[in-house]
Amino acid sequence: MQNIQQYTSRIMRHIRAEWQLYLLLAPTIIWFIVFLYVPMYGLQIAFKDYSIFKGVAASPWVGLEHFYTLFESEQFMRAIKNTLILSGYNLLFGFPMPIILALGFNEFTKAFFKRTAQTVVYLPHFISTVIIAGIVMSVFSPSVGVVNLLLVQMGFDSVYFLVQPEWFRPIFIGTGIWQEAGFTSIVFLAAIAGVNPSLYESALVDGANRWQMMWRITLPSILPTIIIMLIIRIGNILEVGFELIILLYQPSTYETADVISTYVYRQGLQNAQYDLAAAAGFFNAVVAFVLVLTANTISKRVTKTSLW
Amino acid sequence: MNMNLYSRGDKFFAICIMVLVGLFTLSTLYPFIYIAAVSFSSGFAVTSGQVTIVPIDITFAAYDRVLSDPMFWNAYKNTFIYTFGGTFVSLLIIIPGAYALSRPQLKGRRFWNFMVAFTMWFNAGMIPFFLNMRDLGLLDSYFGIIIGFACNAFNIILLRNFFEGIPDSFTEAARMDGANDFQVLWKVFIPLSKPAIATITLFCIVARWNGFFWAMVLLQDEDKLPLQVYLRRVIAELTDDEEFVSSTVNALYSFETVTAAIMVCSIVPILMIYPFIQKYFNKGIMLGGVKE
Amino acid sequence: MSGVSLSKMTKRYGIVEVVRGIDLEIKPQEFVVLVGPSGCGKSTTLRMIAGLEEISDGTVKIGDRVINEVAPKDRDVAMVFQNYALYPHLSVFENIAFGLRIRKVDKKVITQSVNDVANTLGLTEYLERKPADLSGGQRQRVAMGRAIVRHPKIFLFDEPLSNLDAKLRTQMRAEIKRLHKRLKVTSIYVTHDQIEAMTLADRIVVMNDGRIEQIGTPMELFNNPVNTFVAGFIGSPPMNQLNAIVNDVDGRLVAKVGNSLITLPKIKALANSSNREVIVGIRPEHVLLQASATSSPIAIELELVETLGSEALLHTQIAKTPFVVKAETRFGDVSHLDKVTTLHIEPDLIKVFDADTGMALATAIQD
Repeated sequence: MQNIQQYTSRIMRHIRAEWQLYLLLAPTIIWFIVFLYVPMYGLQIAFKDYSIFKGVAASPWVGLEHFYTLFESEQFMRAIKNTLILSGYNLLFGFPMPIILALGFNEFTKAFFKRTAQTVVYLPHFISTVIIAGIVMSVFSPSVGVVNLLLVQMGFDSVYFLVQPEWFRPIFIGTGIWQEAGFTSIVFLAAIAGVNPSLYESALVDGANRWQMMWRITLPSILPTIIIMLIIRIGNILEVGFELIILLYQPSTYETADVISTYVYRQGLQNAQYDLAAAAGFFNAVVAFVLVLTANTISKRVTKTSLW
Repeated sequence: MNMNLYSRGDKFFAICIMVLVGLFTLSTLYPFIYIAAVSFSSGFAVTSGQVTIVPIDITFAAYDRVLSDPMFWNAYKNTFIYTFGGTFVSLLIIIPGAYALSRPQLKGRRFWNFMVAFTMWFNAGMIPFFLNMRDLGLLDSYFGIIIGFACNAFNIILLRNFFEGIPDSFTEAARMDGANDFQVLWKVFIPLSKPAIATITLFCIVARWNGFFWAMVLLQDEDKLPLQVYLRRVIAELTDDEEFVSSTVNALYSFETVTAAIMVCSIVPILMIYPFIQKYFNKGIMLGGVKE
Repeated sequence: MSGVSLSKMTKRYGIVEVVRGIDLEIKPQEFVVLVGPSGCGKSTTLRMIAGLEEISDGTVKIGDRVINEVAPKDRDVAMVFQNYALYPHLSVFENIAFGLRIRKVDKKVITQSVNDVANTLGLTEYLERKPADLSGGQRQRVAMGRAIVRHPKIFLFDEPLSNLDAKLRTQMRAEIKRLHKRLKVTSIYVTHDQIEAMTLADRIVVMNDGRIEQIGTPMELFNNPVNTFVAGFIGSPPMNQLNAIVNDVDGRLVAKVGNSLITLPKIKALANSSNREVIVGIRPEHVLLQASATSSPIAIELELVETLGSEALLHTQIAKTPFVVKAETRFGDVSHLDKVTTLHIEPDLIKVFDADTGMALATAIQD
């Protein structure tokens, strides 16, 4: 009893002394609760027959019904497949590009050219998805787009790229690389900057050429960074740039373009099937969570550094 | 390293690399040049496929048409409201929060930090977030867009890590001088953290300026739409708008030049702050060693 | 001016005690130095007095007032930090004025006080500069200025000189001493450097493992360390310590070290001992190269002679234990030191410690 009293009086004293700290913290915590944790509570509609009028809490439970519906739905299975395929390609083609760019920048001897090139390749990262989509649309436009002008000039027929499902993946992956490869290279450039310069000097004295230095010094030195980035990418494999997809896809390309997030968007926000869409989103979030945790565990084992 | 020291093979290698990186750089730059060229060309020059790099039949007709649309100006104004209002509110929440989370004397610090970081790995997703915004009555409102996206775990952790790097003796000296937490934050931490705060400010500005998805989902009222949503509507609507297409027959602008002009108008402000972004995002990336 | 008194002051982190119930009375105007190896709790002690660490148990009084629960700013103490904690975004003037501004002191008063302090410390011409543009010694002075300007009852120094190079450290040490003579403010100074402790302190408090080992004036500690720890900590190089076996031979105490026999001073506790194990302490300065009437010889193995100029250090071994001797050179000539094979030791200069407890056995002088 006395202990409890002592404890409470300690707490009270602490709060009297440090109340300002809690006042400063309050907006952040309230914001996180109101905008991120209340929705987590709302996730229960994935297991309910949600009715707008009854609200989250009062809607009746239906167990896993929505999940059965989802896994029997061809569209949802297609969305999972597309998500994995787009992510996989993105990993295969998108992951090496920033490394190659960083290695390339590192070989530049003229600071001016290096800086100019960097300024240009970082830029698309800061441009809105709507503009990126607009650029893609006009560049690939069937009548006046510069790609088709080139094709016609070389004697081919013009192609309506954006309505043909087989073209969606290359265009989406290519756009992603175009937009992000430059910016992502910063991470690798930072790693390269951390390599001890005396390694290069001693290699030079040993008679190594630039190519050998790149393969035998630079690349092995930044390998830990590469591995960490790779693990992060694999952990985030369910994340595809769905905003760009929403802007670029159309019913004729759903076959290759529709991913989980766009499926959730269409079912939930456009067709108002909130509970079903929430179930799809819940599935996505749980799998993503497990993947990220796994990635972190692997990263801890492999590189002895945790991502958080 | 001095290029003169290179052997012939090294020079060849260096030139190959520069050509490759140069090609990538040009292909990054080209679409922007193309869009700018289209926006300054006549509609006829574009539709007849003459425009590739430089503007043909230089005209400002597309800009005239865009700038004379009150909806464009309204969208521009809205984007400014969302960008500056949003950034201001973000800083108002993030800076004090990051400060408190960095203080060792905060009780339950591990718990609060976990609560923030957890949202980076697990997210309720689109639908519950939307329904929550609706339940809060924040649909179709300026305030909803500004407050609903004011915070994120990444920015808080970024700034908190920076704050944690400030030596304890600064805080302790200030405390012994009689400074309270508000004063320590205002007179010591904020002046000492200018680069980190600048980085976060720029992150916020860019994210706000470019934000489109949730504005599209949450806003119904045309008067409240930001530039990006307006642009998307223009692209989506003008394509099928026969009245518009027929109106362009004799005009100097076309669907292509008008959309290109809007894109240019939307990119220019980003280009204007781009030098600052460049200065700070390198630092930001370095700060971003996100650790709990 | 106020004194400070600590009674049973304790700091616990969880179950780990870092400061284990310290009692210490510091008189008004006194300059007390807390010294000890890193991790001995000296900094924690200082920080508890400052109010930067909560006190787990016991009390701290400044004057007659218990200040356990008083906020740091209301304790009327000022602290100089190891890294100075100068705000890089503020000028020297604003750095010194910071505490006064926080306390909303009148602007004119602030200008006056800062200028006075700057004058005292010779900082007047640097007032407009930023800390980054100052030398190490100047930064150190600004840090002191920030403490002085508030006219506190107590000054606290947390290893304030350890970031300076050796030469500057000597210089600033003297400056701190002069300042204390002038201002006569009670000062508590933490350092791990025993030379700083010896030169600055009115009284030294030697700490180890969260406890006070000994309190005394520098010369008391030097001449009469209470245990082997203090003996090994104070003095440079520290006191040599040799294991020995004592026998009372007809009222004369003889210690056997290796193969040599040394006569010890008369110590009551050792009377009539036979084959008792002790530790014999001999300061490097207290060794003779020539025999005197009362000295006993001891055989050594000379390993190395380090020349320091007017004196030299002889690194030797006695019974496989390192033994250091400080000897004078002959106007810089050390050739006579290379051939030393025997040292001579005066009984009165030998300290004897219990082999088990390490505590000093009452010394000859007091006996």
